Amino acid sequence: MNNSPEEEIEAADITLSKKATLPLVWFLPLIALLVSAWLIFKSESEKGVVITINFPTAEGLEVDKTKIRYLDVEVGKVTAISINEDLKTIRVTAQMTSTATEFLKKTTSFWVVRPQVGLGGVSGLGTLLSGPYIELRPGMGEDQRHFGGLKAPPVMKSNVDGKQFMLETSNLGSMRPGTVVNFHGIPVGEVLSHKLSDDANSIRLSIFINSPYDQFVRKNTRFWIDSGVDLSASADGFKVRTGPLISLLSGGIAFRASPKDTPAEAQAENTLFQLYETYDQSTQITYTNTLKYVMHFNGSVRGLTIGAPVQLRGIPIGKVTDISLELDKKTAEIRVPVIVELEPDRIESVNDDAKVSDKDVMKQLIKKGLRAQLQTGSLVTGQLLIDLDFHPGSKIVANDEHDHHSDYNEFPTIASSFEEFSRSAQTIMDKVAKLPLDKLTIEMNKTLASLQDTSKAATGMLITANGTLSTAKETLGNASGTIKSAQGVLGNLEPGSTGYYEFHKMLQELTQAASSMKQLTDYLEQHPESLIRGKDEE
Amino acid sequence: MLLKPLKTALTQGFMRCHDCGCLIKSKTETLCPVCGHPVSARKPHSIQRTVALIISALCLYVPANIFPIMSVTQLGIAETHTIVGGIATLIQSDMIPIALLVLVASILVPLMKLLGLTMLLLCVHYRWQVNARLFTQLYRIIAFVGRWSMLDIFMISILVALVDLGGVAQVIAGSAATAFAGVVVLTMFAAKSFDPRLLWDHQISNE
Repeated sequence: MNNSPEEEIEAADITLSKKATLPLVWFLPLIALLVSAWLIFKSESEKGVVITINFPTAEGLEVDKTKIRYLDVEVGKVTAISINEDLKTIRVTAQMTSTATEFLKKTTSFWVVRPQVGLGGVSGLGTLLSGPYIELRPGMGEDQRHFGGLKAPPVMKSNVDGKQFMLETSNLGSMRPGTVVNFHGIPVGEVLSHKLSDDANSIRLSIFINSPYDQFVRKNTRFWIDSGVDLSASADGFKVRTGPLISLLSGGIAFRASPKDTPAEAQAENTLFQLYETYDQSTQITYTNTLKYVMHFNGSVRGLTIGAPVQLRGIPIGKVTDISLELDKKTAEIRVPVIVELEPDRIESVNDDAKVSDKDVMKQLIKKGLRAQLQTGSLVTGQLLIDLDFHPGSKIVANDEHDHHSDYNEFPTIASSFEEFSRSAQTIMDKVAKLPLDKLTIEMNKTLASLQDTSKAATGMLITANGTLSTAKETLGNASGTIKSAQGVLGNLEPGSTGYYEFHKMLQELTQAASSMKQLTDYLEQHPESLIRGKDEE
Repeated sequence: MLLKPLKTALTQGFMRCHDCGCLIKSKTETLCPVCGHPVSARKPHSIQRTVALIISALCLYVPANIFPIMSVTQLGIAETHTIVGGIATLIQSDMIPIALLVLVASILVPLMKLLGLTMLLLCVHYRWQVNARLFTQLYRIIAFVGRWSMLDIFMISILVALVDLGGVAQVIAGSAATAFAGVVVLTMFAAKSFDPRLLWDHQISNE
């Protein structure tokens, strides 16, 4: 305590230098404050609304782990799972991010993505390890905070560009959501869903075609079931068509555009198309303008099936639509009416006259001799087809008088060429059978005997002829002598005189006669039989 | 006996160089004749610095506890943990000793440090008549124990470096880790910048 009071005061002054300038260290709390404020602001601004979703089951869903995603971007997280009051469904409470707020509208849908393994492919494989997640599809309408989750993924997973179309078919077959739609073998879409039509007659598939392939779905586009191997035996023979391997396993739909269509004819969304059972069916052009006829064929129609083609000079212009068996109870006659459907539009018309209807034209053609005839389409399968051609000579074998197929006009038929052939053959055979063969052989024998005689006589004649020939030769020799002497006479004759001229002419004629004589003898030497039979016409 | 009148160096007109320990009889701030370091009676701006650092640490203490300190991605499932959440998980997994360790190292120690330093500062500022020796003891503990809070940060950095197996498992440090490291460092600096001699300065006049 030796310290003087002054010193103490001085010491206190040194210690408490409180009026120091603001040190730089005060920036530190400012920075820290800013950093933490920014962190808090950031996390708060990222937090969106809290929503609840009802699901039938919470399988695989975990609090704080299950994410809500849209296009694989995390937009929320499950924060609680509870059971609803109805004790049948669960309620998932989720904290959404701020970016997801605008998605949460009235029609927004949620579903749980779980791994799915099928023939058509594997989806959601990532969820095998990471567990399921909830996917959302943005919707429209008013804001909403409570949603009902979908039991299964919706037909359209996201807003992919493309169009939805409807297909009508009678049999679902192996089609199911996810079945691939091919276009020239390129997978361009898939089946979204199927439902029975209102009248329960057909099944309507809704399919989705991705852009840019949706523009090829045009007015005359045909869809067909492209399921694996298509083996068909028809009047045209055997045919095997195979689709892509995946279609082979799981079935598929294919379509193609018609070259007639222009891009402007691309069809609007939800246009209804027919789904053909096979490729072949899809290639047949359907004509709305058809003429129905009934044909009555004599004999069996075995090999003729419904759908068999009706051809005109080899070009199909229609098909058989019905074959039945009729018994006329009055006359006890059995007939087979074959109903055919002709498509006049398949025939391109020249010099078109609007006044004349197709029916009239057909009548005219029938008058000109157009007949139907059964023909074998394929010898292997024995399938028959109906061939139309002109047989001007044939009569119309109509049985209008007892025809009660009043709906359809009768189309005249003629027997099939095979039938005709067999019938003629039969006739010939019959005639052959009727021949008096015994008598014939006796007569034949007689003839032969007389022939023998004749030949003998002929031999005699030939010998005589030979004699004649040698005489003729002698005569010729004499003749040449005569000619020579005549020439001598001619030499003496005054040239220019009438006598000379006439003599000269005579000599020429004689020469001609001699040469013809020579020709004759030469010919006879070569063909002695000509004496009997005359000269061959060659 | 504890609070005997003290004869401090300052009251006798001495200042001590912080670096070389040389005693200088001077009344104003000067340079040390031995090592050339500026010599002052007490650490300059000690209280202001400590206050600033404590406020900074407090600011960061909030995000350090509310944000995830790390996110563990295991087979595609990302799981984030806050410090408190981590302790809760440890307790649920029946690892109570480790939970206690984390609790002490990560929550209690930084909190105690902040509170302790604040108390020391208040004590100096309002010249409370307290048991200065006890308070000095407290200061020593604070200065010693501060660095152990870095345990958490070390553990996270080791995990981040080691557990990086791509899709199978991955550990990513969260924003809270940075904030927490900030808290620990700032409190360490705060403890260092506080001059415990200030505790004694106004105790002198007591007896």
